[in-house]
Amino acid sequence: MEAPAVQLDQLSKVFGDRYALKNVSLELPAGSFLSIFGPNGAGKTTLLRILATLARPTSGTVTVAGISLKDDADAAREQIGLISHNSMLYADLNAEQNLQLYARLYGIENAQERVDEMLDAVELSHRRLDTVRTFSRGMTQRLAIARALLHDPQVVLLDEPYSGLDPHAVEIFDSLLEAVRENRTFVMVSHDLRKGFEACSHALVLARGTKVAFAAKEEIDYDAFAALYHETVGMGVA
Amino acid sequence: MLSSMAIYAFLVLVVYGAALSQTGSQFDILQMSGGMLWALIVFTSLLGLNRSFSYEKEDGCLEGILLVPLDRSVVFLAKATSNFLFLLAVEIVVLPLYYFFFLTTTTPQPTWPLMLIPMLVGTIGIAGIGTLLSTITTSTRGKDVLLAVLFIPLVFPLLYACVSATTVVVAGGDIEGIFRNSVLLAVGYDLVMVLLSWVLYDYAVSA
Repeated sequence: MEAPAVQLDQLSKVFGDRYALKNVSLELPAGSFLSIFGPNGAGKTTLLRILATLARPTSGTVTVAGISLKDDADAAREQIGLISHNSMLYADLNAEQNLQLYARLYGIENAQERVDEMLDAVELSHRRLDTVRTFSRGMTQRLAIARALLHDPQVVLLDEPYSGLDPHAVEIFDSLLEAVRENRTFVMVSHDLRKGFEACSHALVLARGTKVAFAAKEEIDYDAFAALYHETVGMGVA
Repeated sequence: MLSSMAIYAFLVLVVYGAALSQTGSQFDILQMSGGMLWALIVFTSLLGLNRSFSYEKEDGCLEGILLVPLDRSVVFLAKATSNFLFLLAVEIVVLPLYYFFFLTTTTPQPTWPLMLIPMLVGTIGIAGIGTLLSTITTSTRGKDVLLAVLFIPLVFPLLYACVSATTVVVAGGDIEGIFRNSVLLAVGYDLVMVLLSWVLYDYAVSA
């Protein structure tokens, strides 16, 4: 049996005397698409940051792509790609230079070939020599996808990726995600209930750092789920 | 960043020159020149350290770098090395100006070129501890003040040792004793603090 793509066991994160996450446990099968919902301050982004190794859990264990983050975070990072509302691209470098930089940092063989391939995939080959500062928000987000997928990660983390995108850019973003979805696991934080629910195979609702609900999509009735979501939003922050 | 630091350093020297231009002949400028040089280096380095992560902060690039499968101490070493080189470049510009402002109108000891040793050792320490602290403060509110509040007390032993060593070789004194001991203290500080920063970097960036 294939190892879960993401496994959380009694995961907690404490800031001062406040729990951002409290004893969250779950197993996400490989190839799944998990959408995480919850009000502001529910711990969604904290969870994503822990999965991306950008934050350290206070207690509990986290395994990504079968690798324990505590034992070998470097190896886990090879399997993780993160797309957030920050592009993580240097505004004064051009599109190609940005991808070349990350290709070198990830130690990708045939880096130029891979950079060309990714620029083609996100339809930015014609703007490869333009600095990122001159890009629209949608173009920057497409290049951010190329950056996140450059090293062919097995687990892709999405932190409110639609934030600031116009409807056309959202369409392009969705088609790009669809194109790379096969054989990858996605974990997405979203405030857009309908969009997040449409995309997911599993849904998680967090409120005040605790797991309110976690289930596969086929086990969920959308109306009941939406009602639960709105109830948790009313619960406010932790 | 380099040009801002160089211009700032030059302006501080000009202010020093103006401030000291009306002092009497009994005023021993050589005894103070070492301290003033180090005040200049510390404040210029604060300016540079505050801006050293400005590119990485924009659009979350630091997170992008931290996501790559590299030991994060490598990121620390890379950034500390670049900060060290920037500071060194500024000092190369500042040193002739310092000589012009303070040492041409006085008679420094012939040992004054030895001041390059504490400058080198001090710059390594400032770049090391400064890189760790600027990483910690880069995403905080009031980072400019916070960096200074954390940085100056932490580099005080290094600053004290470097000022002593510089003053001795410029104004004269016990080269064998004070200079040697001060440089050894600065080297010891560098070893402990740079190693500590290197080890703690991963914890500092993913707390």
